[in-house]
Amino acid sequence: LGRAQRGPPGSPPVTSLLSLAVTSEQIEHLHRRFKQLSQDQLTIRKENFDSIPDLEFNPIRGKIVHAFFDKRNLRQESDGLAEEINFEDFLTIMSYFRPIEMNMDEEQLDRFRKEKLKFLFHMYDSDHDGKITLQEYRNVKLGPPCPIPHPQAWPEPLPLQVVEELLSGNPHLEKESARSIADGAMMEAASICVGQMGPDQVYEGITFEDFLKMWQGIDIETKMHVRFLNVDTIAHCY
Amino acid sequence: RERRRGGAERRERRGHAAPGGLPGPAAPAGAELLRWQWREVQAPCLVAAWILVASLAKIVFHLSRKVTSVVPESCLLILLGLGLGGIVLAVAKKAEYQLEPNMFFLFLLPPIVLDSGYFMPSRLFFDNIGAILTYAVVGTLWNSFATGTALWGLHRAGLMDPGVEAGLMDFLLFGSLISAVDPVAVLAVFEEVHVNETLFIIVFGESLLNDAVTVVLYKVFNSFVELGPAHIHAADYVKGVASFFLVSLGGTAVGLLFAFLLALITRFTKRVRIIEPLFVFLLAYVAYLAAEMVSLSAILAVTFCGICCKKYVEANISQKSRTTVKYTMKTLASSSETIIFMFLGISAVDTSKWTWDTALVLGTLFFILLFRAVGVVLQTYVLNRFRLIPLDRIDQVVMSYGGLRGAVAFALVILLDREKVKAKDYFVATTIVVVFFTVIVQGLTIKPLVTWLKVKRSDHHKPTLNEELHEHAFDHILAAVEDIVGHHGYHYWRDKWEQFDKKYLSQLLMRKSAYRLRDEIWDVYYKLNIRDAISFVDQGGHVHSAAKLALPSMPSRTSMSESSVTNLLRESGSGACLDLQVIDTVRSRRDKEDAAMHHVLRGSLYKPRRRYKASYSRHFISPDKQERQDKEIFRQNMKRRLETFKSTKHNVCSSKSKARLKEKGRKKASPSQAPHQTKPLHLPAAPVLVMVSSEEEESDSSETEKEDDEGIVFVARATDEVLQGKTTPELCKLPLTVPPSASPGSLDVCPSPCIIPPSPTLAEKELPWKGDQADLAVYVSSETTKIVPVDMQKAWNQSISSLESIASPPGIESGPQHRRFACPVLEEQPQSASQAMPEQSSCFQFPSHLSKSGRSQSDSSPDGPEQQELQPLMATEEQGRVPPSAEPRWLMFNRAGHL
Repeated sequence: LGRAQRGPPGSPPVTSLLSLAVTSEQIEHLHRRFKQLSQDQLTIRKENFDSIPDLEFNPIRGKIVHAFFDKRNLRQESDGLAEEINFEDFLTIMSYFRPIEMNMDEEQLDRFRKEKLKFLFHMYDSDHDGKITLQEYRNVKLGPPCPIPHPQAWPEPLPLQVVEELLSGNPHLEKESARSIADGAMMEAASICVGQMGPDQVYEGITFEDFLKMWQGIDIETKMHVRFLNVDTIAHCY
Repeated sequence: RERRRGGAERRERRGHAAPGGLPGPAAPAGAELLRWQWREVQAPCLVAAWILVASLAKIVFHLSRKVTSVVPESCLLILLGLGLGGIVLAVAKKAEYQLEPNMFFLFLLPPIVLDSGYFMPSRLFFDNIGAILTYAVVGTLWNSFATGTALWGLHRAGLMDPGVEAGLMDFLLFGSLISAVDPVAVLAVFEEVHVNETLFIIVFGESLLNDAVTVVLYKVFNSFVELGPAHIHAADYVKGVASFFLVSLGGTAVGLLFAFLLALITRFTKRVRIIEPLFVFLLAYVAYLAAEMVSLSAILAVTFCGICCKKYVEANISQKSRTTVKYTMKTLASSSETIIFMFLGISAVDTSKWTWDTALVLGTLFFILLFRAVGVVLQTYVLNRFRLIPLDRIDQVVMSYGGLRGAVAFALVILLDREKVKAKDYFVATTIVVVFFTVIVQGLTIKPLVTWLKVKRSDHHKPTLNEELHEHAFDHILAAVEDIVGHHGYHYWRDKWEQFDKKYLSQLLMRKSAYRLRDEIWDVYYKLNIRDAISFVDQGGHVHSAAKLALPSMPSRTSMSESSVTNLLRESGSGACLDLQVIDTVRSRRDKEDAAMHHVLRGSLYKPRRRYKASYSRHFISPDKQERQDKEIFRQNMKRRLETFKSTKHNVCSSKSKARLKEKGRKKASPSQAPHQTKPLHLPAAPVLVMVSSEEEESDSSETEKEDDEGIVFVARATDEVLQGKTTPELCKLPLTVPPSASPGSLDVCPSPCIIPPSPTLAEKELPWKGDQADLAVYVSSETTKIVPVDMQKAWNQSISSLESIASPPGIESGPQHRRFACPVLEEQPQSASQAMPEQSSCFQFPSHLSKSGRSQSDSSPDGPEQQELQPLMATEEQGRVPPSAEPRWLMFNRAGHL
């Protein structure tokens, strides 16, 4: 915590940033933003994200914010949810969104890809059991998510409701449809990952390996990035 | 090719001979029997003839896969055009048919541009809009100026023929028209070379969008040339720059305006479905003409009209109109393209317009290739600093090499005024050579080049549902992260746009009903289901026909049902023994097949089909019954699919042993069904069978049309259970406990509620194993009301009459009848003598129903006597066994049987 705060924009903590591949300007920018979000506090709490007006319309905002506090994403050994994150953690999360670099070799690329996918996987896997279950894919228990969920209304063990949340933007699509889509997706995942399944075999959920398989068709390394993190890639001087 | 050419020649000759032998001037006064009216029809006839020639030529090209896989079609067409042109020249002694610029710009180009705009992958296009614009604007400017200046330098250096009278302005004009990458040529070549989408969209997008630049440069330089260099003022340059913005932005604005109009109009075409496609073409064309009229960039107008209207139009118009639009557009574009290339070849033959100058030709070729490459490399260098996915060297090579020139350049050079542009003939010759070189040489070599460089190809797999879901989620994630870091980047704006679109535009431009269904995920889901259904048909067809339905001459359903019924009756009727066991033991393999078949048909056939009135209407197309049927099958399929999934999911091993016990006998009896078990999860047995039946039913319907109209009811429901239960023992419960998951689908797909078999079938599903369920009683009792009267002679007749009255809803009769096939299910159960009765009675109903529902004589006749023969038999049985209070007891018996 102290490190991140102590570091004036120009001298970021060396250890964590070695792997981040961001420039000092970017860190400066991020730091400004961090302070803005945290209202000059040392850490950001979930509530701070409510102050971002543009986020309000995002159907899966809950999950995204959740991901910021997921300890698995913070490269901490422990599991669970962090109450608050400091600037370093913030940077760590951001580093998942850095773009591909020109001079990456195959191995690096593969690791790079896996890292990003891991982040996504954690997003879906809300109960931290290493599997995306159908329940997490669609959430049956909760009522229809309101288009703009009230920030305070987040249920604490945040259910994922991936599909429902995604489809909540369309008020006319019923819950039932969302569910059947989730079912369909799950079934598809099962058929992709397991292939032949005995009639009594049960597909419990998408594991990370399966997740990797499912993403084979998409070049995530060329998609999952945010532009400002690519202003310049002279990162390795740190 | 030779044959084709011969045919074309003949046609050509006819065309030419005709004017010669025109209206018999020698015809004497008086009434004419027939009049030769060639002159009246000449123009359209020639057009039609040319299109025909070109289309036939295409067929011939594609006869050999080998040729077309190596040589792009555009090359072949140009060569064909050269050949035809040579023949025309030889016959008519003058070049007769040319690619007229007017015809090209007004009729041939719009379809191609509309097609490419409308089917442009808009997301990809806008994702790469920065690069596309850069290449289109900067690249084209650079190419024109560099080429023009370099050629001028060549001229000044005295390397060219002195006959080339051209100044700097002329060369710049030439440079402007020769440097633009041509959308038609690019599309023709790149469609066959499947490079990755990003690369394709960049080259193709550039070729579309550079039109604005080309048009502006061409016009500006043309006016400069016409003015003469002495009269050009500084203000004119400024005007030139201003006109660029005006032309490009104006063209885009016109396109957007018409896209808006088009979307709005299609919102209200609900009652006039039949002219929906017309609006699309009409408004796009009007957009083109409007832009052309005010000399804005017409290509931009149509492109953006197509890109922007698609989402709303597709949502508004009906499925059929969508298909119509798609095919018409593709047909028009493809024929335009064909004609363009062919006429390019034909036009090239006309040597009167040519003046060859080696230095100019070679110089132009060299410069356009060089500057294209230089331009691409420089721009890519700059772009890569901003691009998130950098374009690597190989991409750059392909982009440089893919800069094909085409008919636009040719049409523009033909449009030049010979009076003003002295060197026009030289330019024409050079343009033709350049176009031919790029299309033929580069077109031929780009494929091997792409292979050799190992350019990333596009994989043409359709998106899976998961991919679509993730991508969807992904957009939101990225937008959210941009929000969080407070950076207003691409994702931010895209997100904003989508919100705006969802809130206002879609509300305004889409029908309420369409808007509701408009969701990409839903789309993919739906498409996937359709695809699955199709694959079910394919696979199911194989499995089934190979396994058991390989009947050499497919007997009609009538004979099959008849045989099974007679079989059954013969066996059971002879001994006057109605013991269930007996019936079961005599069940032949054939019977099982029949049972399965019945089930199959029952499961997939939909409602009794009515004979549609043979109506003709110009304004409406009556709903296609095939379509309705498809929908229903699809829905059933989906339901089962999801049911199976759920059951696999929830049912770990609870009823496994029980199921196995039950299934044991049946497995032996029908080994052919075993393959279904080994299928992967998403291919459960039932859907397979279902789809088979649809195929088969088609063949059946071709055999006997009459049957279709009557709507035969196939009621071998229990076998359904046999088959399904095998994979998922608990499945039988699901239809009741789980609301049919396909119901959203059915809601969306088909507004008319034609839900598959109503309660009786559900009840049947219920019956064999779920006797202990509480709600069973309802079903049983509802059945018994129908079964009970059967036991008395009088009541039998009653039931027949009652059946007659309700002949149309199939589900109702299906109840009792299924029991014949339910026999195997029950065989291992504790038997009670009375249990046989419902079984038997159900058997009797079958023929009675058949005969009553007005089937052909052939199948009712064998049943009739036997039915009568057995009726007393049954009656006595009943009377002997069942005391007056029949109904409650039946209920009990049924229950007992299901334990």
